[in-house]
Amino acid sequence: MTALVAAAAPAFPVARGRPVSRPPHVPGPGGDAASKIPRLESRIHVFALCVPFPSGLEAEIAYGSLAPDAKPHGGAVEKQLTVSGSVMAVRWRAKDPRLLRISIMTFLDQLSLVMQTMRRFGPPVSR
Amino acid sequence: MPTVLGFEGSANKIGVGVVRDGTVLANPRRTYVTPPGTGFLPGDTARHHRAVILDLLQEALTEAGLTSQDIDCIAYTKGPGMGAPLVSVAVVARTVAQLWNKPLLGVNHCIGHIEMGRLITGATSPTVLYVSGGNTQVIAYSERRYRIFGETIDIAVGNCLDRFARVLKISNDPSPGYNIEQMAKRGKKLVELPYTVKGMDVSFSGILSFIEDVAQRMLATDECTPEDLCFSLQETVFAMLVEITERAMAHCGSQEALIVGGVGCNLRLQEMMETMCQERGARLFATDERFCIDNGAMIAQAGWEMFRAGHRTPLSDSGITQRYRTDEVEVTWRD
Repeated sequence: MTALVAAAAPAFPVARGRPVSRPPHVPGPGGDAASKIPRLESRIHVFALCVPFPSGLEAEIAYGSLAPDAKPHGGAVEKQLTVSGSVMAVRWRAKDPRLLRISIMTFLDQLSLVMQTMRRFGPPVSR
Repeated sequence: MPTVLGFEGSANKIGVGVVRDGTVLANPRRTYVTPPGTGFLPGDTARHHRAVILDLLQEALTEAGLTSQDIDCIAYTKGPGMGAPLVSVAVVARTVAQLWNKPLLGVNHCIGHIEMGRLITGATSPTVLYVSGGNTQVIAYSERRYRIFGETIDIAVGNCLDRFARVLKISNDPSPGYNIEQMAKRGKKLVELPYTVKGMDVSFSGILSFIEDVAQRMLATDECTPEDLCFSLQETVFAMLVEITERAMAHCGSQEALIVGGVGCNLRLQEMMETMCQERGARLFATDERFCIDNGAMIAQAGWEMFRAGHRTPLSDSGITQRYRTDEVEVTWRD
């Protein structure tokens, strides 16, 4: 009998009965009407990427190629590149997760192109 | 004798060219063509450019019979143009400049057109009509600047033609403008369209709205054919361009006119400009589609002039810019 009841129960929890955690509810200046929906947009999203290169020179070259272009999305996304040894580090900060995702994907495409260029037309000449 | 490599990809054409002392050693190019009824979007265009640019670079070097060490300078389009495509090309230029330890030069796309036009035609100091999908300007050289005498106050003439082609679902292969030109030759009826010259400037967005509207109506009632509309649009917009060019020539007392940019390939435009020039006792210069349409060698040529005059673009200043006025550049290579 118990086995049949278990099989008939839904395989996933029903939203109605499930507790949902919410940030503390603070009424806006106009009272409660405007603030029924929890404010999730005020979080800053951060994404970090570390790209290893065969040498410090190649990491510097990649940095030189990728750093100069203007802020993505007119400042809505902050992007910072640094080089340490033979690793290039990239760090993003953004409020809008969609713009952040687009910026990361675009950067990865450009990075891929830089690496293909280095593979095909490198190695760097001696200085 | 410097040898300059040039990269161009500000719109849907991507080209890599090699120039040495006024000779074009290589100039391969590819065009991103979208289906009829559609235009090219920045992200897709950038993806196209990234996929072919390294093959084009190799092709250019092979065609020129050169190795990387024979190159003295790497020139690329700094702007104006579409952001994502410009970046995709700039990162490759910066990378090879660093790999091969060569100086980098960011070139203004409009100046690339002008310098290639001057080189190929031998025009000494012409009034330039620069007409393409992205730009419409009348330019004349004066005291170290390419001064803009007149321009579009809204969209470029090529943009007007391209967007009209979408309405009629005209093929974008090889380019919408080329196909409009062929259809226009078969047009018989002149449909009256707004004529919008504003002093030294022109406006096309009103004409576009008007013809988009008229097209639906007149084609449905068989009042005219698509060929008639192509013919009417060309006659109207080209007459406007001839007018503002003539006005600038009169101001400057110029005896030479030079047409550059993709729309400059259009033989009807060249014919109308030739008529105006003959009436004034002036000479018309134009190039063929190898150099009218965006290409890498024009960037290399402008780069060659800039390099010899001592210009250099440090990496930190090498960011692309979607807005870049023709008169922002100090033309130190001319008197």
